[in-house]
Amino acid sequence: MSAAETVTLTIDGIAVDVPKGTGLVEAALAAGIEIPVFCYEPRLGPPVGACRMCLCQVEPGPPKPQAACTLTAQDGMVVRTALTSQIAADAQNATLEFILVNHPLDCPVCDKGGECPLQDLTFRYGPGNTRMTFPKRTFEKPIPVSPLIALDRERCILCYRCTRFSEGVAEDGQLVAVNRGAGSMIATFGDEPYRAPFSGNVIELCPVGALTSTTYRFEARPWEIQAVPTVCGMCPVGCNVNATTREGKVKRILSRNHPEVDDGWLCDKGRFAYAHLHAEDRLRDPILRVRRRGFEEVSWERALDEAERLLREANGRIVTALSGSETVEQAYALGKLLRRGLGAHTAFFPEEMSDALDAYRVPLSAIRDADVVAVLGDGPVIERAPVVELWIKEARRRGARVLYELDEEAVRGADRAILVWCGPGGHGGATVASLAQRLGASGAFYIPDTANGRGVCDAWSCSDDAESPSPDPVGLLIVSGDEAAANPVVRALAEKAERVIVISMFQGLAAGWADLVLPGTSYLERDGSYVNLEGRIQRLRRTVIPPVPDELAWISKLAERFEVELPPYPSLVFEEVSAIAFGGIPFGEIGERAPLPAATGTSDPIELPIEPTPGDHGLRLVRYRPLFSGPAVDRVPQLGFQRPQPEAELSEQDARSRGIRNGEEITIRSNGTSVTLRVRLSRELRPGVVRIPEDFAGDLPPSVEISK
Amino acid sequence: MATEHMIVMAGTDERDLTKLAEYEAIGGYGALVKARAMSPNAVIDEVVASELRGRGGAFFPTGRKWSFVPKPEQNPNPHYVVVNADESEPGSFKDNEIMARVPHRFFEGCLIAAHAIESKNVFVYIRGEYTGPYEILLGALKELEARADLRGDVTIVLHRGAGAYICGEETALLESLEGERGQPRTKPPFPAVQGLYASPTVVNNVETLATLPPIIEMGGAEYAKLGVPDSRGTRVVSISGHVERPGNYEIENGTSMRELIYDLGGGIPGGRALKAVIPGGSSTVILKGDEIDVGYDFNSLLNLNTAMGSAGVVALDDRCCMVQLGIRISEFYEHESCGKCTPCREGTRWMTQILRRLESGEALQSELDLLLAVCDRINGKCLCPLGETAAVAVASYVEKFRAEFIAHVEQSGCPFGDSSPLHDVVAPVAVAHSASSAVPA
Amino acid sequence: MSTYYEDVQEIKAQYPNWRSATLPALRLAQEKHGYLSPDALRECADALGTTPAFCEAVASFYDMLHLAPIGRHMVEVCTNVSCALVGAQQVLESFEQELGIRAGETTDDGEVTLRPIECLGGCGWATIVAVDHHYRMHVKPEDVPAIVQELRSGD
Repeated sequence: MSAAETVTLTIDGIAVDVPKGTGLVEAALAAGIEIPVFCYEPRLGPPVGACRMCLCQVEPGPPKPQAACTLTAQDGMVVRTALTSQIAADAQNATLEFILVNHPLDCPVCDKGGECPLQDLTFRYGPGNTRMTFPKRTFEKPIPVSPLIALDRERCILCYRCTRFSEGVAEDGQLVAVNRGAGSMIATFGDEPYRAPFSGNVIELCPVGALTSTTYRFEARPWEIQAVPTVCGMCPVGCNVNATTREGKVKRILSRNHPEVDDGWLCDKGRFAYAHLHAEDRLRDPILRVRRRGFEEVSWERALDEAERLLREANGRIVTALSGSETVEQAYALGKLLRRGLGAHTAFFPEEMSDALDAYRVPLSAIRDADVVAVLGDGPVIERAPVVELWIKEARRRGARVLYELDEEAVRGADRAILVWCGPGGHGGATVASLAQRLGASGAFYIPDTANGRGVCDAWSCSDDAESPSPDPVGLLIVSGDEAAANPVVRALAEKAERVIVISMFQGLAAGWADLVLPGTSYLERDGSYVNLEGRIQRLRRTVIPPVPDELAWISKLAERFEVELPPYPSLVFEEVSAIAFGGIPFGEIGERAPLPAATGTSDPIELPIEPTPGDHGLRLVRYRPLFSGPAVDRVPQLGFQRPQPEAELSEQDARSRGIRNGEEITIRSNGTSVTLRVRLSRELRPGVVRIPEDFAGDLPPSVEISK
Repeated sequence: MATEHMIVMAGTDERDLTKLAEYEAIGGYGALVKARAMSPNAVIDEVVASELRGRGGAFFPTGRKWSFVPKPEQNPNPHYVVVNADESEPGSFKDNEIMARVPHRFFEGCLIAAHAIESKNVFVYIRGEYTGPYEILLGALKELEARADLRGDVTIVLHRGAGAYICGEETALLESLEGERGQPRTKPPFPAVQGLYASPTVVNNVETLATLPPIIEMGGAEYAKLGVPDSRGTRVVSISGHVERPGNYEIENGTSMRELIYDLGGGIPGGRALKAVIPGGSSTVILKGDEIDVGYDFNSLLNLNTAMGSAGVVALDDRCCMVQLGIRISEFYEHESCGKCTPCREGTRWMTQILRRLESGEALQSELDLLLAVCDRINGKCLCPLGETAAVAVASYVEKFRAEFIAHVEQSGCPFGDSSPLHDVVAPVAVAHSASSAVPA
Repeated sequence: MSTYYEDVQEIKAQYPNWRSATLPALRLAQEKHGYLSPDALRECADALGTTPAFCEAVASFYDMLHLAPIGRHMVEVCTNVSCALVGAQQVLESFEQELGIRAGETTDDGEVTLRPIECLGGCGWATIVAVDHHYRMHVKPEDVPAIVQELRSGD
């Protein structure tokens, strides 16, 4: 590989070498010099040069100050910032004077105060007084842009970061600038809320206090808070986040840019669902079914006694239903206790998992650089792994062909083809792995249903080597976690089991059907590790102390009673797993921005048929669990408006051939059962498929017909 | 004695050149045939030789602009000719008349430009208010489209604006043509390389294009014999305001401004004194009534620190209050500011506020200095020329008529009052569009 | 008769990118609905294949597109410098008097909206008044009653 081409330029007298194509803001940073910015944010696409904060003297170039953010470093360029140029200093001071002409001086009551770029830059570059003698512009405030976001138009400096995000990153077209000139302002359509899965990012993008989080408003000041780095546990992407905590409570979730995983974006589920920690029905004490008296809260000592009794009485006829949201350590601990201590090897996994994809391991950011991206499986990526959808959108903006059905020639002919499997029938990634091998793709992803399904699967399987047949009838069903507790298949299993233990955070999920309920914790309360859909092992940190003992603590206590050696410390448990499954990397080396383990081996080719589309007029019905659903989301009222609309998605081709237009009502039917829904045309769906959120799909079978 | 020299408007006194047959009868579209027989490079060379410069206001050499467009083998994307027919500069109404009276000469120029840069697509962005010229162009285009021999394989699309001065700025025009809010883009990249749909594009003014047929016809060198150095050929000048015979006059560049106003324009009505002249549309630095003994050309006006701009000459007589002029011009730019960059958006509004206070007589002397300071802080800091020219124009009123501004402060009011025709003129107010969530308190 | 939706599809076909059809589609929607009501913007968005918010963002940028109801007739008086110098304000005031409304308002019967407008590009033929987007040139205050009469009795 040849060395990257570099250019040499001078910034405030300091010579600096940077790779060709580096922006001046970054080049200055390399020289240790700040060029102040508001509108500049490379993740939003090409620079726009709107705010004029970055004005510098640049030679060669016109004599007037230039917007440094719009320029790239050139060999021999001489840049003078406010540090060494009076012209630049005056220009930046002028920009701040203009920005402050109509900006209110309400910093003492502004949520942004103390972490506000406008405050900081005014302090460093701005005028110390005002010459504005006219009344400042005022607006009605705050305006609820949505139940999650408040807009204070008086504070807005019109940098257009938020609208550029909406238009150019999330591509939701919901948050826009209206009017012109001094009358310009940020708005949604009429009174409609900014209803889109990534809306919360605009809060973080806002360089002033114009867009604030309704859930964080007036909750804390910057000097009272801590930031705990962890990863999100709401989906298999594992976006890197910082949890802002104050007095032992999570107050907000912010992104913590991992450039290979999330590029600093979060979905609203990951950002706002933390409020489930304080759900009204959060369990704080174990609950025991007591004959004739129903249920009663018991002490942990008593609960463990009961758990021991139930485990022993089951005589090995135990099945464990896992959620896929347990940490690696929790799943391993549970496995070790049950398998080594009781010989109970049978587990019900939420989904099929495969290691076939390990041979095609690439970071998610590789999607951005692909020239062909094939999204297979007919499932909606945005609902399962939202940030992956942003990577795909960015790839498309950069010119990649994004396919929603398999075009083997296109994949074969591409320099960098990436396959993404999302939807039923993927065999845990085996299908897409075999396709990747056969077509020579440079990377492939399988999007599982659960946040740590892969990690749980690996941990369970390395907790013991022995196997045993599934017990019938089931003596004891152990339901580990909220997702399992909410799973209808698990509930059906429980009906048949003689006894049931449920580990759950919420009374509403666990009460009534379990003999013993052990209160659970959230991913925000656990120390440990998750394996994301790339195969990246990431570190979860306890951001706040949970109101109940964490799972590892009591599993380890229970394990003692069965003479299974199990340390209560995630680091030690991890190292046991790591020695078998993760190549022995120590817990302490996972790091805050975890690297992606190298691809391992090549998988054997396996021919797995892709599910065919029903012929004739039939369509394949794909039902999916919407992003804004599930036990945590159900407990955050502010997210209610994000729930899916009663809509059916249809490809443009299928709609055209049936004379159906966007927004019309259609009836989807099969064998006498039918549902009627508004149709939404999708460019991200192949012909022959109709896609409906689980809640609205009724009893429809997998093959359906539609009509107006 | 100044006279007209009709090249662009040639033939309009005798014939109705909106009709294709009439235009062909005077040799129309002959230049197109001639140009198509030449190589694209040869056409560019001819235009370079003519020393033609853009008639929209920036005065950039047209041939050079074309030469920046990559050849199709360097950039395989479609190439576009985009016509800036968004004439909106206060004082300018020449393109209006050119499109209305010589639509075919204009289209012929479009097709010559398309040949020169090897483009198959011409988009004419015509300002939305120009219903009359639009209808004439539509009729002429219909005639042209019926003639495969002339049209060739070039498609011409008329695209109507919807009321935004800023769309006369070429990158804002491209944004608007792409269906966006008409906000200027940063340059570089320049349109020649990355213009419409990020493809190679030339953006030319109506008059520039209508000048091409005569240039090809007579040859670039011949055209360059007209006018004066750096300002060759003719210019259609719009004369308005306080003159006896306002209108468009096509003159040779370099014609004396005094003759423009007093001979062609017929002088100041009622025998009043000429107080000031806006020489090139509202964006240009004002001239005092005694500064008009200069040629109407680039260099002569540059010596006076001003410009021909879009050739809109506005004469103001001695009744006019310069503070009121400042208000009206500042209101215009405030209203037309796109809102993208900070200095223009906030600065033009602030300028208007200060000017209104000066006019009302409530201002202190220090506020006059503040006005100049605000102008100075806008100038040179903006994303596009709109805010900058607003600041420069208004600052020039203060500089050239400082005593009058100070009189407003010292007399605690306007010395002219309602005897000035610019007194209390109601300007359009930006309507705060949008539903309930967007209503200012 | 073609529908709005079909008309917009035809306009889209004129351009390499559907977005370029936004202004023509908005203009058409305004003609159909009288002004760009929320429903008009929704219909426009559906025909273009975009969001109503995008349509509103674009529409609100341009002076000729109206997001609030306007009269069936539009009278626009240029009050920029060249027209103002020769009496545009007096013409505007005549309209105010004749119509019984202030500049910027619409008559109670919803017939006429009067508004001042920035330079219409007819400075040499001042005062320019655009009546339903067609220019009247050299308008003087004394011409106003006849213009209003024409509007009131017209159609």
